[in-house]
Amino acid sequence: MADDSLVIYEEEIQQLESLISKMLKGCEAKCALLVDKDGHLITRQGFTHSLDTTALAALLAGSFASTKEIARLVGEPEFSILFHQGKKDNIHMSLVGDRSILVVIFDDRTTIGMVRLYARETSVELTKIFEQIKENPKSGASTAISDDFANMAQDKLDDIFQD
Amino acid sequence: MVSINYSSREVCCKIVYYGPGLSGKTTNLQYVHAKIPGTTRGDLISLATEADRTLYFDFLPINIGTINGFAAKFQLYTVPGQVYYNATRKLVLRGVDGVVFVADSQPDKMDENIDSLANLDENLAEYGYDLKSMPFVLQHNKCDLPNVMTLEQMDAKLNPTGVPSFMSSATEGTGVFDTLKMIIKLVLDKAKSGGGQTRPNASAVSAPSPDNSVSAPSAAPTQSVASAPTATSVATLPQQPDAPEVVREEVDQAASASVVESAPVSEPASEPEQYRPYPGSQSQKIDIKDKKITPAAFTPAGDNIDSETPLEKKVVSEDTTGETSEDDSLKAPIMSPSLKKTALRKKRGFLKRLFGVR
Ligand SMILES: Nc1nc2c(ncn2[C@@H]2O[C@H](COP(=O)(O)OP(=O)(O)OP(=O)(O)O)[C@@H](O)[C@H]2O)c(=O)[nH]1
Ligand SMILES: [Mg+2]
Repeated sequence: MADDSLVIYEEEIQQLESLISKMLKGCEAKCALLVDKDGHLITRQGFTHSLDTTALAALLAGSFASTKEIARLVGEPEFSILFHQGKKDNIHMSLVGDRSILVVIFDDRTTIGMVRLYARETSVELTKIFEQIKENPKSGASTAISDDFANMAQDKLDDIFQD
Repeated sequence: MVSINYSSREVCCKIVYYGPGLSGKTTNLQYVHAKIPGTTRGDLISLATEADRTLYFDFLPINIGTINGFAAKFQLYTVPGQVYYNATRKLVLRGVDGVVFVADSQPDKMDENIDSLANLDENLAEYGYDLKSMPFVLQHNKCDLPNVMTLEQMDAKLNPTGVPSFMSSATEGTGVFDTLKMIIKLVLDKAKSGGGQTRPNASAVSAPSPDNSVSAPSAAPTQSVASAPTATSVATLPQQPDAPEVVREEVDQAASASVVESAPVSEPASEPEQYRPYPGSQSQKIDIKDKKITPAAFTPAGDNIDSETPLEKKVVSEDTTGETSEDDSLKAPIMSPSLKKTALRKKRGFLKRLFGVR
């Protein structure tokens, strides 16, 4: 289990993105992130330009992980939804499948009820895509990390790590 | 778990700095953050206590550049080293691709190093990971201090399997980059050998019975030996058996909600209408209700009354003022008069017992 890399292809990302942008339009939220439970950003949609989405992804995954652990300690299998309310912006997080989190950021142009409704629907569709990804392994997954990848990375590191 | 995204064309790996409290994990990340060009890194995020002890994790994303058309990204995390933060420490290990163990090379810290190493092994095992097959580097830190142990002495205690190890001073920078370079090398080497053949293994994860999970990796001959989880590690993994159940439950719930209208999402035409799962009037109702209720639900009772419309304000006060004026601690919204009296009496009795008043 330590090695089940998440490999996502262009077309799958496009499917995920179109579902998420449809959701954003439907519930009039500002933006959404799809985050791996390990803290990697899978994709984002909407007005995310001003956001440090890399850091957000790590923190949101951390927040979700700690909430999950809290759930376990109080005897819940998992809190599948997490909601943070702010002065302007609110954040709604929900589980997608068993390893991703859909994060929706919204303000007072919509309501938590609407967001929850759309996120729940979208989550089902997104889960289907993740299941497809699992079920239809494609060959050529290893092309990204080629034989010389590690060596070239070492060279890059030497460039970067100059005191 | 190495994440390969063919859309954004990036490869992302997670590296965790582990070790006892105050060994210098956070200082490692601070040094890397300070010394590499701003274009190659993001902000360093530290979830720490007032006293600068790590509470949950530090996080530093680095992007070393494009290799064969893929951006090579690494996410560096530290854990809280203090013993009693084990719950959060364990969480940081989720999906880890490589571990740097930062030991404190002062002689009186050896016991803490050993305990922390044992704790790492335990926590990895809970995820079904095995330290023996994990890219792993040892860093013996604080070599700038006087009377610290030597590399050989440290390795003799902490490194029975002979993984790469370095003496370092995270404050001065000695050995910090060597450590990072080495762990990145090990992670990428492993990703090359095992990480590419990920799909068979990924489907094994979804298999609910442990038998399947065990047989699948061995059925895939291309899987590197090191990365194949052992039967015991899979069988004892606490999360896997219940995780799919939770998901199924969630899906069921969501599915039943969308039964109202089974609009196929794939149809692009007139999407707002298509996508609206409830009849217009009903969703309108939800909308209004939520707009009014949301602020109230998150502020202490009483505060929200001003924010309500005058009509609702009247209704609210009619409902509750009777009780609130009588006794503040008994402002449960609906209570029959007789019950209310009993409750009041009980409360007085309780106060009598508590303070001895007659
Ligand atoms: N002399 C010396 N001091 C160091 C070195 N590395 C870290 N320190 C000091 O040790 C103290 C603790 O360092 P941190 O990096 O915060 O330790 P940590 O491992 O993150 O500790 P926790 O967050 O509690 O787990 C700080 O005061 C550092 O300045 C080193 O190489 N030499
Ligand atoms: Mg720290």
